[in-house]
Order: sequence, then structure tokens, then C-alpha cells
Amino acid sequence: MKLNTVFDNTKNTIMRLPELTKGFLKRSLVGYYFSAPRPREALILTKYWIMNWAAILYWIGQSIVKLGPIGFTRALIKHPWILILLRVNGLSNRVARDKTGVYHDTLCMTVHTVALGVINELRNMLFDAENLVIFEDLVPYDIARGMGLNCYMLELWGIVLPLLVSDASLQYIDEAENSGMNPDACSLPKATVGMVIKGQTPKGIAMVSSNLPCDAGAASYAFIQRAYGNIPTYRLDTPYNFYNERAEQLFAKDVMGMINFLEEHTPNRMDWDRMRKIFEGRNRMLELEMELWEMSRVKPTPLAGAAVWLSHLWHFNVSAGNPTSIRHYEKLVKMARKNLENNIPATKNERYRAILWNPPFLHFSDIFNWAESTYGVVLINDSMTYNHHEPIDTTSPETMIKSWGKTIMQGPMVRHTRGPAENYLDDIFRMVKQFDLDMVWVSNHLGCKGGQAMNGILREQCRAKGIPLLILDYDLSDERIVSHDNMIRQAEFFMENVMKAKRIDQ
Amino acid sequence: MAIPSKTIKVFEELLESPQNRLVEQAVESGRIPIGYSCSFVPEALLMADKLFPLRLHAPGLAGTELADNYLSCFVCSYTRGLLEFAMDGRYDLLKGWVFVPSCAHMQRLYDNLEYLQKPDFNHILDVPRKVNNDTLLWMTEELQMLADKLAHHFGADMSDVSLRKAMEQWNDFASVVQSIGDLRKKPNPPINGAEFHQIVMASLASPKDLILPYILDFKKEIEQREGIKNSRARLMLVGGHLHDPEFIRVIESQGCVVVADRFCTGTIPGFKTIDINNDSPYKILAEYTFAKTLCPRMMEDFDRRLNTIIDTVKEYNADGVVLEIIKFCDLWGVDAMPLVSALRDNGIPVLRLEREYCLGGEGQLRTRVQAFIESMGK
Repeated sequence: MKLNTVFDNTKNTIMRLPELTKGFLKRSLVGYYFSAPRPREALILTKYWIMNWAAILYWIGQSIVKLGPIGFTRALIKHPWILILLRVNGLSNRVARDKTGVYHDTLCMTVHTVALGVINELRNMLFDAENLVIFEDLVPYDIARGMGLNCYMLELWGIVLPLLVSDASLQYIDEAENSGMNPDACSLPKATVGMVIKGQTPKGIAMVSSNLPCDAGAASYAFIQRAYGNIPTYRLDTPYNFYNERAEQLFAKDVMGMINFLEEHTPNRMDWDRMRKIFEGRNRMLELEMELWEMSRVKPTPLAGAAVWLSHLWHFNVSAGNPTSIRHYEKLVKMARKNLENNIPATKNERYRAILWNPPFLHFSDIFNWAESTYGVVLINDSMTYNHHEPIDTTSPETMIKSWGKTIMQGPMVRHTRGPAENYLDDIFRMVKQFDLDMVWVSNHLGCKGGQAMNGILREQCRAKGIPLLILDYDLSDERIVSHDNMIRQAEFFMENVMKAKRIDQ
Repeated sequence: MAIPSKTIKVFEELLESPQNRLVEQAVESGRIPIGYSCSFVPEALLMADKLFPLRLHAPGLAGTELADNYLSCFVCSYTRGLLEFAMDGRYDLLKGWVFVPSCAHMQRLYDNLEYLQKPDFNHILDVPRKVNNDTLLWMTEELQMLADKLAHHFGADMSDVSLRKAMEQWNDFASVVQSIGDLRKKPNPPINGAEFHQIVMASLASPKDLILPYILDFKKEIEQREGIKNSRARLMLVGGHLHDPEFIRVIESQGCVVVADRFCTGTIPGFKTIDINNDSPYKILAEYTFAKTLCPRMMEDFDRRLNTIIDTVKEYNADGVVLEIIKFCDLWGVDAMPLVSALRDNGIPVLRLEREYCLGGEGQLRTRVQAFIESMGK
């Protein structure tokens, strides 16, 4: 390397020092202490910081024993993104900062349960790589777990990585684009395809995908299947019009087809008793979630933000019905009830109640922390969490299959991306009424064409109903498309010009 | 190159407006035009009794300012073009619309049209994304429901007899067009790609019975023609919607000839004839619809799509494939990645072009095609 280059690199690093320091202070425990939290909150966060590290270190030790030091090192080289997951404490630091009391504790606890879940996924991936069944993100593992299969969600890390480090997906997105994937496609399938191309995902023995939620996601599986050497693949096909008996019957047959496929391509068989237990667990979680929402209708809300959306995102999509997930929801409800009974709001800053429509801002998940501390905007619920489907009928295998199918078809993103416009719009207005909201935020992911094409109608209908609407442009996983500063500016313009809101942080 | 004939000028003229003089003539005689935008709508069903199908296109689209407000500028320019024309009253002769949720763009076009125009007859055909016995039955029922709705709304005769007659009419028409298309297999084809596409598009955008005499005239004419000699390369065009024959003319201006068309508004395999057997007409049409479309929305069809392209390249003796994709089309945009590499693995040169619905950037297009032909050593 030439001396000039060394000099330039050093100069650049020095110039970036303030930015790097700021980032470090934002993410690290030291930085958290510098933000002058109350001693109680500092103790709680430190407790979870230690628990997260303990879980990580235990997993590392377990991996070294199971795979051997060389095997584990090889696994880290093959899946370098695992190292990013070590920064999980940065997430709790960001989402829990400036929060107090029970709300603060639920945020730390939620991130901790996600950390434990991630570690469990890594165990599945590394310890039994030969027997993995690959699943697309909108086909939850429930059925496969009923069959005792070891599963791997292909899109999972495309969701988790930018939550932890905002630029973590960029190298995968670039890889997919450089390999010929259209740059305007959603960045989640791009990141997933990029990981597959780089060989950083396990291959599995069979794969289940679907036509959900969007064209890019569904179409990407033609590539993935070939990249995996034409792995046996089953594709679930959700009808366009699904709120009718005919569609439910068709989808139930499709789900049965998936079970037969899995039985054909894996050594496992469906255990309906185990399946029933999982579904009963899912139903219990649904019951608890409804209770939580009922409490969050109270003004000011006893619980909000990431405690609600991150809990649902992980526990309902990855580990629904799992005892750990049920326990998490029981604790959440208990803690929210404690706040409610003692008349303590989640945050004393609550001035405006909002919902977020469309997927959360993955690479800038703490934007609502900013909105909360700057303008008192509290995120009550979001489109990925919100649902109004019935519990699963566990009477017989047939009823289980049919009502699980209904749960999938009527799940978040699925019911919003198919069927007439009412499927998309009615939920928004229903939430506004149910939670007595002051505004709707749309996370306007530029790669989501179906959502983009609804903005015109939504804008006019919100205007007609007098609902303030912020359509915040961003890209789901790529912070280069719209920067964090730009996203903040969009929110500021909205709050100042439309809501005429005064800043509460000055 | 052959000199443009009088008949080809007729096709040109018919493509100047979505509601051409043949459409007006048919409407004046009491017939009912039904607009559709996707190959998954079986034309034969809409040819029954007094109905006639019109493939929606937006010729001479200058801008989509109105449609952008609703669909956003990140949706493909074809769907925006259709909404713009609809909002501009350019489809006011249409009595009904039939859509397919073939992609998010088309689905939302239906939603926006429903919201903005509230057409009297606006139907969405729920076509499954994979083919098996269950989905075939579903599709059969879907077609039957559409037919019932058409019969109820327009008083059209959608009986089995009427549908079988419509299927026979479609077969007569499609076999004439296909016979012209087959001439392109010759070493010196008597017709170039732009001319052929003009015929196809004009026939999709006109009542079939009224345009058929012109097509037959043209067929007689080209049978007398000398073939195109000294073309630098024979190309196959693959992709989604392609309406403007000028796009092919620009490609062919570089000395090549487009001999095969595997795109939504092309004839391979869109102009297959229907195998009319003793099954119910709806089942026949459902099977036919799945067989005549090769869209990346079909989740399990990649190999069939790939093999059809490879077989067509061999059959038409094409030197290379031009893959044209409308910007923002996720289905073709994502599918292109494995498709391009699979074709190249099979020794077929591929040029991937991203374009807008309307022809633009002609200079750039010429340069890329020229470079592609040169890269093939032609």
C-alpha cells in the first residue's frame, strides 16, 4: 500500500471519529450510562445486557463443544453475519433509551426474548444443518413444528440484521443487484437472494415458499430453487379473494398438499397431538395479545412501541405457540396491567397516538423513539401486528388445517396485498377507531409497488375522514435510498406543518 | 426489406387509437366491447354472442401525470398508461372490464379504476399461481362465474353452444395469424417482426371477425413476397407486455430480423388453438388458459418457460434472445436473473433491455442492439 493511501485512510478515519464516537455512544452500555438514566433503569438494562451476553457466550461454548473449535470457526467464516448478531445489546440500548418504568423493562425484555430466539435459530441452523427445511417468511413454522421438523426461515436475517446494524444488509442487496436482480425490487428479497448467492445460507433438504406477500418475493424462489440445486419445493398459493368458504377449502387442500410434501421429502410424520398443542399455544398468545390491545386503547396507553410490534414480529412469526413466547406475552400483559392499575402511562410524553402502516423501518427502528421524545408521538400498533382473525379450531385435524389456513390468509401483509382495496383500507380506519388515533404513518417502502399504488386512494380517504396522514418515503432495508436524516425531516415537516405540533424536547 | 403494403397501413391506422374504427363499427351494430389487459383472460370467452374482447393498450401515451397521483411513479408504465387513458375518457366505448390479479400493478389498477371510475361492469378473475387438479377446478369455476355475470349483466348468450361457437371462431382466427407467424421459420422470412407485431396487436385491439378479412388479404400478399435476405441476425423477443411495433422496428433497423415473439401480446404460445373436446367449455378454456400463458407469476412454470424459449430458438433458428422488461415489473425483473443465466448456459446469447411502455431512448436502444449483434459475431 502506498504511503499516500495510508495517510488518506488515516485522515478519513480521524475525520469520521466524531461520527463513530456518536454511534458507539448510541449503541454501547457506556453510552447508555452517559445518557444519565435513572439508577433503576440503568440496573435493569445492565441486567438484560448481562443476560444477553450470557446467552451468547453459552451458545458459543455449546457450538464449540458440538462443532469443535475448527467447525465453529468454519461456520463463522461461512456465515459472517452471525457476528452482527452479537450487537443485540445495541438494539435494547436504542429502543429503551430515555424510557422509564415498566415500559423500559418490557422493551429490554422483548429484545432479550428476541436474542434468545435468534440463538435458537442459530442452533437449528448449525447443529442440524443436514435436516433443515427452508421456509419462506410468510409461511410460519407451525405445521413443520407439528411434524417435529427443524426449520430455517430464509428471509429472517434480512429482517433481523438491519434492525441491529442499519447497513448490515447492504452487501447482500448489492450482490443481488450485481447478479441481475432488478434494483427496484423490494430490498428484503434482494438481501435474501444476495445471501444465497454469497453462499451464506444453509441449503436444507426441502423448501416451502408461497405467493406471499409480493411478486418479487414469490418470483425470487425460482432463482433460489435453482441456486439450491433444484431442491424439492412446495409452493402455497393463496387465492386473491379469500374471505369465502370456497377459498378456505382450496387453501386447506393446499396446506394438506404441503404436509404430504413434507412427509415425502423428510423422515418426519405429522403428529396431530403435538400440532394441537402448538395451535393451543398460538391461541393463548392471541388471547393475551387481544388483552394487551384492549389495554392500549386507554389514553394514555400503558404499553406501546417496540414492546408491541417487535414482540409480535418475532413471537407470532417465528415461534408461535412456543412456551417461551407464551410466557413472554403473559409477562407483557402482566406488566401492562400493572401500569394500567396504577394509572401509569407507558410514557408521560404521550401527545399523539399513531399507527404505522406497512413494515416497520427496519434500518431505523428507533425513529419512533425520536418521535416520542421530540413530539410525543406514541406508536400504538402497526399493520404487521394488527389482525382480527379467529383462534384456531383444534377440534380435529381438518379443522386445524382449515383454520390455520385462514390465519395465514388473513394474516398481516397477506390480507393487505390481495383482494380488493377494502382489505387494505378498512383495517386502517378500523384501527383509527379502535385505538382512538390522532394520525396514521405509512412507511412508504419504495420497493413495495402494491402499497405505493394505494397511496392516492388512502390520501383522499384520510382527507375526507379528517385523519392526518404521513406517507414517509424510505426503503425497507437500504438506508442509502432515503437517509435517516431525510426520514426525520419528513416527519418534522409533517408534525410542524400538518399537526402544528410543538417540540417537547426544547 | 419488403415495401409496406396498403394492408399494413390499415393495421397501422387501427393501432392509432384504443377505440379504432372497427371497434366503433361493432359498437354501432349493437355489439359489446369488453376490455382486458392480461393473457390469462381467455379471449374466446369474451367472443361469445354479441361480446367482443379488446386488449387494452395506450397508443401514443404522452405522459401519466394524472395516473401517477394514484398509482405512483414506481408502478409499471403500462398500468399507469391504462389508468391515464381511462381517466382521460379514451376507453369510453368499453362496456366492461375484466382484470386478472396477475401482479400487484394490475391488481391495484383494478382498485384505482374501481375507485375513480366505478365502471358498471368490472370483474377480477382470480387465476391461481400454480396448476394442479384443484386449481384447474377453481379456474373452471372462476370462468363460469365470469360467464354468468356477463350473461346477467349484458344479456349475452353464454350457453355451451354459444361458447363452443366462440372457441371455433377463435381457432379460425388464431390459426390464420399463426400461419403467418410460421412463415418466419423460413430462412428468408417474407415478413419482419415489426409488421407481424402490427398485425397481432391490431387484431387483439379489434373485433376478430372484422379484422380477419384484412389479415387474409395480407397473408395472400406476403405469400407473393420475396423473403428478407441478408439480415445480420435472427432474434427472438421475450418478455412481458410489448404493444408498440416501433420498438421492434428500431431493433430491426440494425439489420436483424425478429422471428419469434414470446411476450404477453405475442403469438408464442398465446395464439395456440383450443383443443375443443367433450368437456365443459369452461374446463376446456381453463386448461387452455394455463397452457397458452408463460408468465413468471406462475410459481412452478420456470422450466416450462425456459424450455419453450429454448425450443422456439431452435424451431425459428434464432441467433439470440432479446429480453425486454418494463421498468418496475418485479415478475420479469426478478425472473430475468435465473432466466438469463439458464439461457446463456444453453449457449443462447441474451440481451436484457429495460424499457418504458412507450418507446423512448431510441438511440440507446439502437446502440445496445448493434453491440449485441456484434457480440454474436454477426
